Amino acid sequence: MSERDDLQPRLEAAVRRHLGPPGEIRDLVRLTGGATKATWSFDAVVGADRVPLILQQTPPERLVLAPGVAPGLAPGLAPGRGPGIHGAREAALLAAARRAGVPAPRVRIVLAADDDLGEGIITERVAGETLGRKINTDARFAAARAGLAARCGSILASIHRIEPADLDFLADQPAHVQLAMYRAIADACDHPLPAVELGLRWVAEHLPRAPRRCVVHGDFRNGNLIVGDDGVRCVLDWELAHLGDPMLDLGWLCVKTWRFGGSLPVGGFGHRDELFAAYERAGGGPVDPAHVRFWEAFGCIKWALMCLQKGLGDLGAAPGARRSVEAVAIGRRIEEPLLDFLDLITAKEP
Amino acid sequence: MPAIKPDAPALLDAAIDYLERELLPTLDGYHRFQCRVTVNVLAQVRRELALAPGHADAERARLAALLGHPGERDELSRELAARIRAGDFALDDPALLAHLRQSLIEALRISNPKWLPEPEAG
Repeated sequence: MSERDDLQPRLEAAVRRHLGPPGEIRDLVRLTGGATKATWSFDAVVGADRVPLILQQTPPERLVLAPGVAPGLAPGLAPGRGPGIHGAREAALLAAARRAGVPAPRVRIVLAADDDLGEGIITERVAGETLGRKINTDARFAAARAGLAARCGSILASIHRIEPADLDFLADQPAHVQLAMYRAIADACDHPLPAVELGLRWVAEHLPRAPRRCVVHGDFRNGNLIVGDDGVRCVLDWELAHLGDPMLDLGWLCVKTWRFGGSLPVGGFGHRDELFAAYERAGGGPVDPAHVRFWEAFGCIKWALMCLQKGLGDLGAAPGARRSVEAVAIGRRIEEPLLDFLDLITAKEP
Repeated sequence: MPAIKPDAPALLDAAIDYLERELLPTLDGYHRFQCRVTVNVLAQVRRELALAPGHADAERARLAALLGHPGERDELSRELAARIRAGDFALDDPALLAHLRQSLIEALRISNPKWLPEPEAG
């Protein structure tokens, strides 16, 4: 029985239970599968309506893995740390984000134990493009592209205003804690690289003084945005959210890895000053470009360590476990952000 | 025994050519993406066979000069990483930065030449 055939009846029962009959499922397609998390797209028939939905789940059989056993791309899965935010916590975060005016997915179902689908949520499906290269090069996004950097600035200002009071599960991760997390990943990989060591020391010696502390998305970048010809429609992938320095989100969005065929520094589609000005205009607070550059440079080192972790990802996995060609190819991308890091810290500009 | 012909690069060229020109156009979705990644991976192996021996010699010589003693490339690299971590080098040490940059450029000539500035990408 295929994974899909196995999922469908349980999903129909869950939809019937939470949204109402008949709960029939149409066009169930797997979109992505990570080490622990899978994303599925489907339509549900509820009453006379056909509702387009997305299921994000950590299947029950994967929940037994202790955190850190299956090192994946997400630093939340780093040794000694719990997995990223999902299930009821993600639903609470997305609801708080929507209250703050952020175009975040609307949650329809939080999976319960009775559903036998593991941990996860079902959200309304938003039409649009997520592939960074298409967003940056496709003619149908030409008009939207011109406004994307500014729109990202205003959305980030909204994200950084999310009320954290009811989100007590968000980990406190100021820059020095983030540094310790990535130091731990480097040590666990046990493959010391001179350029990575230089990067980690540079970060340690340039930690921001007196940063603000607020809700931070943690993975806000081209590739995690649903874009239509009218601009950004939805912000995805909140599992690395935490309390920390808001400039992290602005710097991460500028990391060269996320420019996908575009040449401009913000996601490949815009200029830094457009991003910063829109952030300030939307009430996000003053932006010091050097402070953002710190997070862009640290972002390069973080991505390098994610590549290293992904490339060595089968260490500790079950004997005979297969390595995907995608995972080994990401492992070989480690030099890209390391060269970008050297360019950033030796650049003549501010 | 004489060198085996066709050699490894010739085998890879034939495999890459089949995947890229014949198989890829027949695929879509998941398998099209995986096939494209596979072509890229094999092309990296092809470039590594041609370039890696020269890179390794050059890197070993640079490492020996930086550290002040000879040794094997991987051991010297590990030692350099440990000494950077211990604070034995200034973060703006020009010789260190030049070595790291050169090593990264050489690695990218194998793994992804398109990442390098235009003249490098050739």
